[in-house]
Amino acid sequence: MSLKPNAKAVLEVKDLKTYFKTDDGIVKAVDGVSFTVHEGETLGIVGESGSGKSVTNLSIMRLIPSPPGKIVGGEVLFEGEDILKVSESEMRDIRGDKISMIFQDPMTSLNPFLKISTQMIETIRLHNPQTDKKEALARSIEMLKLVGIPSPEKRIYSYPHQFSGGMRQRVMIAQALSCNAQVLLADEPTTALDVTIQAQILELISEINNKMGTAVILVTHDLGVVAGMCDKVCVMYAGRIVETALTDDLYAKPAHPYTEGLIKSVPRMDTANKDKRLFSIEGQPPNVIDLPPCCPFHPRCHKAMEVCKHAYPPEKDLGNQHEVACWLYIDEETKKQALQDATQQEKA
Amino acid sequence: MTKYIINRLLGIIPTLLIIITLSFFIVRVAPGGPFASERNLPEVVKRNIEAKYHMDEPLIKQYGRYMFDIIRGDLGPSFKYKDYDVNYYISNSLPKSIVLGICAMGLALLFGISAGIIAAVRQNTWADYLSMGVAVIGISVPLFVIAPVLQLIFAMKLNWLPTSGWYTTGEGYLTIILPAVSLSFAYFANIARLTRSSMLETLRSDYIRTAKAKGMKNSTIIYKHAMKGAMLPIVSYLGPAFAGIITGSIVVEQIFRVPGLGKFFVQSSFNRDYTLIVGVVIVYSLILVIMNFIVDIVYAQLDPRITYK
Amino acid sequence: MVAISKKKEAPLNEFNQIVAGNSLTKDAWRRLKKNRMAVLGMIIVILYSLLAAFAMFLPIHPYDEIILDHQHLRPTLNKSAGDLMMETKLEDLYFKAWRSGSLVVTEAQSEQIKKWIKDNETNKVWNFCYTEGERQKAAGTFTFSDADTRTIERLQKSIDSDFLISVEKIFWKDMETGKIQNLAKMSYEEILPVYAAITKLDIPTIEAQVLQEKRAQVMNSIKETNPGLSEEEYQSSLDIEMMSIGEKGIAATGKTNLLGKIKTTITRSSERTLKQEIKEGTVSFPIDKKVTISENLSAEIEATKKHSRHYLLGTDYSGRDMLSRIIYGGQVSIMIGLIGTLTSVFIGIIVGALAGYLGGKVDFFLMRLVDIMYGLPYMLLVIIFMAIFGRNIMNLFVALAMVSWLTIARMVRGQIMSLKNSEFVEAARSMGASTGRIIFRHMVPNSLSVIIVYSTLRVPAFIMQESFLSFLGLGVQAPYASWGSLVGDAVNGMTLYPWKLIFPAIAMTIFLFAMNFFGDGLRDAFDPQSKNQL
Repeated sequence: MSLKPNAKAVLEVKDLKTYFKTDDGIVKAVDGVSFTVHEGETLGIVGESGSGKSVTNLSIMRLIPSPPGKIVGGEVLFEGEDILKVSESEMRDIRGDKISMIFQDPMTSLNPFLKISTQMIETIRLHNPQTDKKEALARSIEMLKLVGIPSPEKRIYSYPHQFSGGMRQRVMIAQALSCNAQVLLADEPTTALDVTIQAQILELISEINNKMGTAVILVTHDLGVVAGMCDKVCVMYAGRIVETALTDDLYAKPAHPYTEGLIKSVPRMDTANKDKRLFSIEGQPPNVIDLPPCCPFHPRCHKAMEVCKHAYPPEKDLGNQHEVACWLYIDEETKKQALQDATQQEKA
Repeated sequence: MTKYIINRLLGIIPTLLIIITLSFFIVRVAPGGPFASERNLPEVVKRNIEAKYHMDEPLIKQYGRYMFDIIRGDLGPSFKYKDYDVNYYISNSLPKSIVLGICAMGLALLFGISAGIIAAVRQNTWADYLSMGVAVIGISVPLFVIAPVLQLIFAMKLNWLPTSGWYTTGEGYLTIILPAVSLSFAYFANIARLTRSSMLETLRSDYIRTAKAKGMKNSTIIYKHAMKGAMLPIVSYLGPAFAGIITGSIVVEQIFRVPGLGKFFVQSSFNRDYTLIVGVVIVYSLILVIMNFIVDIVYAQLDPRITYK
Repeated sequence: MVAISKKKEAPLNEFNQIVAGNSLTKDAWRRLKKNRMAVLGMIIVILYSLLAAFAMFLPIHPYDEIILDHQHLRPTLNKSAGDLMMETKLEDLYFKAWRSGSLVVTEAQSEQIKKWIKDNETNKVWNFCYTEGERQKAAGTFTFSDADTRTIERLQKSIDSDFLISVEKIFWKDMETGKIQNLAKMSYEEILPVYAAITKLDIPTIEAQVLQEKRAQVMNSIKETNPGLSEEEYQSSLDIEMMSIGEKGIAATGKTNLLGKIKTTITRSSERTLKQEIKEGTVSFPIDKKVTISENLSAEIEATKKHSRHYLLGTDYSGRDMLSRIIYGGQVSIMIGLIGTLTSVFIGIIVGALAGYLGGKVDFFLMRLVDIMYGLPYMLLVIIFMAIFGRNIMNLFVALAMVSWLTIARMVRGQIMSLKNSEFVEAARSMGASTGRIIFRHMVPNSLSVIIVYSTLRVPAFIMQESFLSFLGLGVQAPYASWGSLVGDAVNGMTLYPWKLIFPAIAMTIFLFAMNFFGDGLRDAFDPQSKNQL
């Protein structure tokens, strides 16, 4: 969890936009998302379901099903190179080798028709063609041991359905790290698991993060997970990042009303007012099809102002890597200007 | 596994028993007997014939006698063609029907699966539309229309292939093509559609996404990861497909004058040749039941999640 | 989610987005409308159904009227049957003339004709002889022999003068009361004296005659269905049969028979007068008039020229109009498809719902039954059944419906099992609804979309099976037709009379195409998997 001061940025996402074409209109699932991940860092992306966090991850891997989805803009810089622009075959060399991904449902994410050994060896040999089968098998067993599978020499010849959910997620992680991944994208890796197993898997991920120096992007809707694991957190709402901060900062002084609501809605054991009702954010997240220019959170926000209904707030740096997109932190002058522009545009 | 196979084999017996019993009684309950058309026979002769075939005994005794014979592998004498027994007819015509059926099934599988995969991989391109268009034709045009039309075009107008006959009767191996192609068409179509949809579904599944995230090539993903799962529905379709090919062969053998089992079947139903009808039904059912058994085993082999009980 | 679209304006949220939900059916309908092939299929299916339903009102020739002169006429756009008859005759005469050497052609052409004959290309031979003959006749290098000329003239005469009379209505004037009555609306007892008056026979004789006819008719049908019985057995079963028919049955047959005889009398007498009038040249066809036979018997008759008919799609081996046979054949095929599907769905729903809802032993027993029946080569059993129990449409329905409820039963069972534990069923149960009500008012309607989609795809399968049997000669019997029997009849002469094969085959294929596209579209529309592509 330590943040090295001069760590190199491994993955930089700049103004990423991924849209989906549906019968009802264009869904702007990810609409201008930017963040940076440094070596050995763990970045959490939090948000409600449908806020675009999984799509962000899939866009980085260029695994958006197309059609209907398409990455329409932005850059994803991996070690300085824009991987949205490289050829498909170059991208294949990056996937599973330098950037790996694990998925939400370990039950369905492993091929049920192939033995674990087949699936693991195939990954290793795909990216290291010079390795022979024996070496690959040895490496796979080693990886399984690393992720804590008991007696891996035997279990490696099992089929996925012979493993429990937590074990399968361990296998997924072992497989994802069996090459030399610098970034691990974890897409809600614990959502489908029992609570006790969840803790084990998270423990494993942070262990690997420490041991191997792999940068991790952890997508989750669970703020508790973020608090325990991440160095930095991005909060997403309706396809955009509304707040980015170091984890401790975010919990200590959440800037965006949405973040504030999220944190307040987590039940806590340590605060005094246990008998009080738990806070909840009212209303539903908006449908992201044809959203008018406005802060998408304003109908649910108790601090909403007139300008929130007409323009999307610009980003504001609050210092110490704390950025927020909310009109509350913008000076009156700019707000007035924005309101004027918006009304003029609406008239036109 | 062995236990499963034995259990499954034991399960075949009641099915066969029901088929034999059902067909035995259906043909005998119906009005009119096999000797009805020979009305002008003297009463004594008629009695003699009936005695020869044990037709004068009570039905239940006939049934018992028949079952006993079947267990010994004897399907009895033909009622109509007096000098031959049913075993002779079946052993003579069955191989032809089997060759025809295997050819048709092979064609259907080969072209159906390839067309289905191409259509799924190249979804919404001309290759998809073309193969699915042909498949819809295969499903919508009945066998008895396709067969004469193919015969009209390729045998009569273009003279490329023989009109009818069978190679074992000395008419050349080319005789097999038209009947096999006509018979396979509908099953080609079904298999192609089934392959396409199950392939598409498999390609949408999570583990294919994992394989992509591992950096695998699309072609590798298809034959290494998607094929097995996508083939499962095809395998379970094979059972009904065999049944359909058996029924279809009746029509095809008639149109192309193939001296197979199907030709005898309709003829013997009209003639009320009791033993021949029941014999043919038993043979067909046996083939079908065995095919279903093989299909089950193959299915269990393909899907590791199936446990043998 | 229930559609709240009673009012035009849909509810909006803060972002001016429509938030109204769509019902599943509405959603499915919207998706179906987008699928152009499915909509086209639906339109074609509707057109076919309308055509089949209103076949009797269409201006087409009767489908079962046999005119032997019109055997195997080819399809035509503008030529009448008479023209085609003349053409066929001329083709034949020219061919014979070529054979006898009176029609002179070049050596090469002769060779060509011989080759055609060898290759069985009869149609080409006819066509060539006809065009060549006509050309030479026009050029004056060829003339028919006297005998041929006479044949042609005789044919021409009969083409010009043959007519068909149909008696529409017969009227009887009661001499005492002076009341005029339509014979078709009178009872058997009332017709008896009328017939007696016309034929000058006494009533008991006529009654005896009618009884005799009925007995003969019944005897024939007994012999047909039960061949191979002894004479005494036939007599006794005839007596039993006659008893069950009773007075009423005899009266009904008697009326039909007597009316038929009166009609024949009228037809004969008006034929004589018409022929006379034609000779005098005082008539023009078509005729639609009232004739008086005697002082108290009159009738409305229609007479048309027999050979002026047009057969758009040609005729079959008995000179029946292919167009109307295809339409009426479609009626039979679609009917069987629909009724068969409905029956099998009905049986399937009941069995499946019972098995799924009751579970336990009932479920086990029913599903083992279904399993075993699945293993049967059921089409073979249907074939045996049809071959042995007689080939009528009713048996066909029974045989097909008996074996085709299996899949639907399995499907409904699965649906019911998954709905069994749902909240709304719990709610219904907790309010004291009966088992039957829960199954048929709550659970079945909820699985209806699956059932409807499956049924749509069953209809073409049913039509195929029916046609398959008819093709083998085991289904629909002449004079009735179905698409399958039409194709089956055509296969043997398909090189000579290809239209007999092609038109019914096309008609059937288009319908099956449309039905399949429609069914596929419906399935895609109801399939929740494709609901959201995200």
